[in-house]
Amino acid sequence: MLSFIIRRLLIIIPMALLVVTLTWGLIRIAPGNFYSGEKKLPAAVEANIRKKYGLDLPWWQQYGMMMSNIVRGDFGDSVKYQGQSVNEIIKRHLPYSATIGLLGYLLALAIGLTAGTIAALKQNSAFDYGSMSLAMLGLSVPNFVLGPILVLIFGFWLYWFPPARWGGIESLVLPVCTLAAIYAAYIARLTRAGMLEVMRSDFIRTARAKGLSEKTVLFRHAIRGGLIPVISFTGPALAALLAGTVVVEKVFAIPGLGNIFIQSVLNRDEPLTLGIVAFLSILIMVFNLIVDISYGFLDPRIRYE
Amino acid sequence: MAARQFRRYQLLAFFLIVSSHFAGCSSSASSRYFGKTVAPKDNVLRYVSGSEPETLDPQLPDGQPEARIFMALYDGLVEYGPKDQQPIPAIAKSWEINPNLDEFIFHLRDNAKWSDGKPITANDFVYSMRRGFAPETISRTAVSLGGVIKYAEAFNAEKVFVKKGDKFLLESNLGEGGDSKTAPPFGPETEFHKSINSNRVTLDGDEKKRAKQLEADPKLKAAVGEAEFVPVKAEDIGVEAIDDYTLRIILRQSTPYFIGMLAHQYFRFVPRQAIEKYGKEWSRPEHIVTCGAFRLKEHRPYDRLVVEKDPNYWDAANVHLDHIEFYPLEENATIMNLYKAGSIDAFLNHTVLTSWIENVRAYKDEYMNFPEAATAYYSMNITKPPFDNPKVRRAFLLGLDREALSNFRKVTQPLYGKVPTGIFPAYDKAAAKVSEEMRGEKGIAPEAWSNRYKFNAEEGRKQLGEAGFSVQKNGDTFSCPGFPTDRASITYNTNENNKAIAEFVQAQWKQNLGVTVPLKTMEFKTYLPYFKSLQYEGFAQFLWSGDYMDPYTFLGLQYGEENEGGSGFHEPKYDKMLDDANRELDPEKRLEIMARAEEYLMEQLPMIPLTVNATNWMKKPYVKGMYPNPGTLIPWKFVYIERDPTKWDKDVANIMTTADPQFEKQLADLTITQKTAAK
Amino acid sequence: MAENVEIVKGTSLWRDAWKRLLRNKLAVFGMVVLAIMVVAVIIGPAIISWTTGYTYDLIPTDRSLVKSLPPSLKHLMGTDDAGRDLFARVLQGGRISLSVGLISTIVSLIVGVSYGAVAGYLGGRIDNVMMRIVDILYAIPYILIVIVLLNAFSGGNTAVLVSWLPQIIASAVIILTGISLSIFLYRKLFERSDAIRGGLIGWLITATFILLTFFVIVVLVYFASLTISQTSLGKWLSEAYTQNVNQGLSQIFLLFFALGLVSWLTMARVVRGQVLSLKNLDFIMAAKATGVSTVGIIFRHLIPNTLGPVVVYATLTVPSVMLTEAFLSYLGLGVQAPFASWGSLAADGVKNIAIFPWQLLFPGLTMALTLFSLNFLGDGLRDALDPQTRKF
Repeated sequence: MLSFIIRRLLIIIPMALLVVTLTWGLIRIAPGNFYSGEKKLPAAVEANIRKKYGLDLPWWQQYGMMMSNIVRGDFGDSVKYQGQSVNEIIKRHLPYSATIGLLGYLLALAIGLTAGTIAALKQNSAFDYGSMSLAMLGLSVPNFVLGPILVLIFGFWLYWFPPARWGGIESLVLPVCTLAAIYAAYIARLTRAGMLEVMRSDFIRTARAKGLSEKTVLFRHAIRGGLIPVISFTGPALAALLAGTVVVEKVFAIPGLGNIFIQSVLNRDEPLTLGIVAFLSILIMVFNLIVDISYGFLDPRIRYE
Repeated sequence: MAARQFRRYQLLAFFLIVSSHFAGCSSSASSRYFGKTVAPKDNVLRYVSGSEPETLDPQLPDGQPEARIFMALYDGLVEYGPKDQQPIPAIAKSWEINPNLDEFIFHLRDNAKWSDGKPITANDFVYSMRRGFAPETISRTAVSLGGVIKYAEAFNAEKVFVKKGDKFLLESNLGEGGDSKTAPPFGPETEFHKSINSNRVTLDGDEKKRAKQLEADPKLKAAVGEAEFVPVKAEDIGVEAIDDYTLRIILRQSTPYFIGMLAHQYFRFVPRQAIEKYGKEWSRPEHIVTCGAFRLKEHRPYDRLVVEKDPNYWDAANVHLDHIEFYPLEENATIMNLYKAGSIDAFLNHTVLTSWIENVRAYKDEYMNFPEAATAYYSMNITKPPFDNPKVRRAFLLGLDREALSNFRKVTQPLYGKVPTGIFPAYDKAAAKVSEEMRGEKGIAPEAWSNRYKFNAEEGRKQLGEAGFSVQKNGDTFSCPGFPTDRASITYNTNENNKAIAEFVQAQWKQNLGVTVPLKTMEFKTYLPYFKSLQYEGFAQFLWSGDYMDPYTFLGLQYGEENEGGSGFHEPKYDKMLDDANRELDPEKRLEIMARAEEYLMEQLPMIPLTVNATNWMKKPYVKGMYPNPGTLIPWKFVYIERDPTKWDKDVANIMTTADPQFEKQLADLTITQKTAAK
Repeated sequence: MAENVEIVKGTSLWRDAWKRLLRNKLAVFGMVVLAIMVVAVIIGPAIISWTTGYTYDLIPTDRSLVKSLPPSLKHLMGTDDAGRDLFARVLQGGRISLSVGLISTIVSLIVGVSYGAVAGYLGGRIDNVMMRIVDILYAIPYILIVIVLLNAFSGGNTAVLVSWLPQIIASAVIILTGISLSIFLYRKLFERSDAIRGGLIGWLITATFILLTFFVIVVLVYFASLTISQTSLGKWLSEAYTQNVNQGLSQIFLLFFALGLVSWLTMARVVRGQVLSLKNLDFIMAAKATGVSTVGIIFRHLIPNTLGPVVVYATLTVPSVMLTEAFLSYLGLGVQAPFASWGSLAADGVKNIAIFPWQLLFPGLTMALTLFSLNFLGDGLRDALDPQTRKF
């Protein structure tokens, strides 16, 4: 087990570099560049910019320079926000998105797991239909619709929460709820499906036959197996959430990483994009590793050699 | 069970709340002000300034969001007037202009100070310009704004002078432009002034390019002969500190609108002491030194940028706000929500959603809807058929009802020429005169003449037919099967307004000409090279806001070979007309020549004028001294918070003409220095 | 006799599932709604245009009508800011939203399920490599992929891409199945026999095997594309496409492509997780012991048993793909104006939620109803196809 974890951790670094390489290639293929603006730049100025950022060198030299810097953990300065380093920008904006993302996911987990489990246990009951219909509603209403509706109700009709911007606990409520809605719906449905699957399986039947109480069957045996789909979903979802959710950040004007990432791509801010991609890819891979490890704990039949 | 009951109760409560607020909503619409309106307790203004500023170095970026913040942090020789954007004194308390309109002398205040307490002198401006034009500074705005300053462009492009012995090769030596007018003496004569008075020849700094340049011009080559090439240095550009508080700027040609340009962010003072100490890091919050009415207090990128009143500022006694909080937000709906909730006091231009305007317009004390020096065009790529045919271009111009478009866009006015009407009254007068003269020359009936660029579907179809694409009538609709719609599209960068315009124009042409031009939207960075390198076919959206208050900022778009117009249009005749205009010293005559140039341009029709935009933003009634000037650049020191609700803006017919004694006195006191000097 | 039994069993399997599905009222409701939606979306625009003259892009010439009107008999869903009939726009938007959702989901199903199942079942080093590839693809920002795709294939290039589409799909299928087949073969034939392990001969045999596989795959791909180009399917597609390209649909095709490209990754992970938990179960062991081939085990035993979560996940993919499309449209990378999708209509409408609620209400309701039905149908399918319940 330990060697498995170490092996996986070691491979993360070259994989992240591969991701960075592919992303770099994509940025280079994409049209436009970071310095183009509405107004035409004089040729002399453009030449100076290209010289300053080493864009006049052959591509392999540029790639080599970029890679050697990245390996040393230095992503350089953002080319859009002059004088700010990429590391500094990520460090500055991660807490915002992480707070919202984590809170949102915890809320979603609490709602989704409870609703999903109860719905599975009481299949075809009114609760099952009710909660699953609600979950579907959660899935069918996009973030960018739900957010403004919540703002309208709780910001302007009730005046309970501020409509946007960061500041204080009360400003977190609406974005967290908006974020949680869709994930709660996902989790509820995945939990229900997984639980139904497990409840019908042989080992549960055996456990019941042994005369274990329903409670024991549920909490000792069923939940662990039933959670597998949720866990697979959680890995990438949580990684993506921590790194920021563009729509919620936009609607509520939160200075999170997600929006900055999209902007960096749209601005062709290469160092910033690469920095966030590297960070994000490592995050995703670590979370996926955690997911794989947790499979082993949840389901004793899964073993890693 | 319990859970179910809980939900049912909640649902009921929810519906009660919703329905009661629906009812409440309609009654609140009749209230005087939009949303929550409570004056803040402190002297603080919360303003949405647009996207996150790229940097706080005023000489680098060219964007409006930065400009709005620089208006607080930095001062220039002159400042934009709060209502009309005409220059008012700032660090320069007065100025003189020579009759040729190519030399300017500024008298600086002796009490202006940096935020670190150091005095500001004429040498600081000289330093600012030398730094701004230096190639390694990489300023986006330097050449487009300051290119008229003598040798500034040559310095920026690393060009060279030609030196023969101890003498420089002059343009008069080449025979052309030989009208070496001996300028009447202006200001104290200095060594520098003597040396810069002649026009030296500048050549490309790059050896290969220079060889090519010389090869192309044998006369020049002969004149150069065996000479030494001396790089143009920072010290050569036409900016001179005569003494600590007297400054002279020498231009390479007469530029009547130069003073107006000087208020631009590029010409604001930058601190030598900080830049030389910290290099590119100087504009970070921990190192920054500013010279404006406000200094930086806090910068949390993407969240807020807070400035506070600077006690060192020369006019600190007349700065009313203690703080300004700039919020870098871009989502229009979010901004409107914050405004409605009373979390912000004012926001940037072009932010009220079109669909909201009808509702918001009723709050006329808050809604700022005034003429703006900004226009929208569709550039046409005249290098690709069928748009190389002027008849086709004219057909699409005539087939578009721009009045209907303006009606649909709600805050815009139809545009029928290159220069927006209603912004430059003197120019409008000159243009009317020229237009009448031209009508006389051509002998066209007045009505036909005044309608020559207006909507006329029938004439449009006729023109299209003459160009070889005949339009057929089927019942109520038209079709033009011969027109190659795969060779045309309306290309625009993604933006809600651009999309609405494009959809409307497409529908118009479909109805009036029977041509369905496909739409093509792109994200901005993809769009830019596509547009500028003329890859597009047909039409491309082009928005232009004036950089300074002179019609040339619009007409200059099609000037020169590498122009900004994006149509592939280049006419030496047009360039010459504009050159003539700028050489003309009589302002009235100058405008007339420009009006003729505009007429010529409209005949060539490299673009379809669409609309003159209008300012479109809001401010709370307790925010005073803040006016919708044509570029929506607000000199923050005039702004104050009125805490007495009886003095709030109330039933204001026209905020530009409504009396505000405090504001008017402040403006009059400020401008008096220049007025007395002019006498 | 044996033949007879199998036929009876074969039909009853699907008939049983169908029966069970019909017994589920919600699923039937979902099916009916979806069917109505599909029909409405296909023929609706033509009917509206024929009866009232409204189309998705018709802006009234009468200036007083160029504004958002509430629903009325003339405009069942009201009009948008430009006075266009919302009903016509919602129906037209349905075409795009439904096809984006369905096509991308089908792609993600095919690729994701087979990829995840293979990785999960084979385990070990192959699983490791396959999942790392997924991780890498997952970490690349899809916006960049979309931007690059849109630009590489904008204009005339898209027609070429579309004409290659059948070949690309066929080749992908051949390559994927070919590689997995060869891996099974290799394991079966060589890996277990000690004689070949290690040593020069072992390496030689391995190398020959790889080369041979490569050759076979290349030949197969070549012949497949030859056959496809002779059926001129690609030509037909590209002609159908170029007829529409003038209407600004070019980006939509690329969107199908790009969204399909990114949406299978999570599916693969879900399936792999499920397979991992299933593969040590008794019935798989039994199948192995009775000599069922690896392919047989994966496709006959493992995949059917993962159907529950897969169907549920697929029904989750449809909305997420539609929402991604809406977000891309918002960035200018999605559907081209004046066309709309439900997502882009809702995004436009939500800005006017306080003043013109119908602009959000109708596109939102239509979209929600569709997704609702889809999910009910998915649940019904899951219950009906569930091999566990089938036993009883």
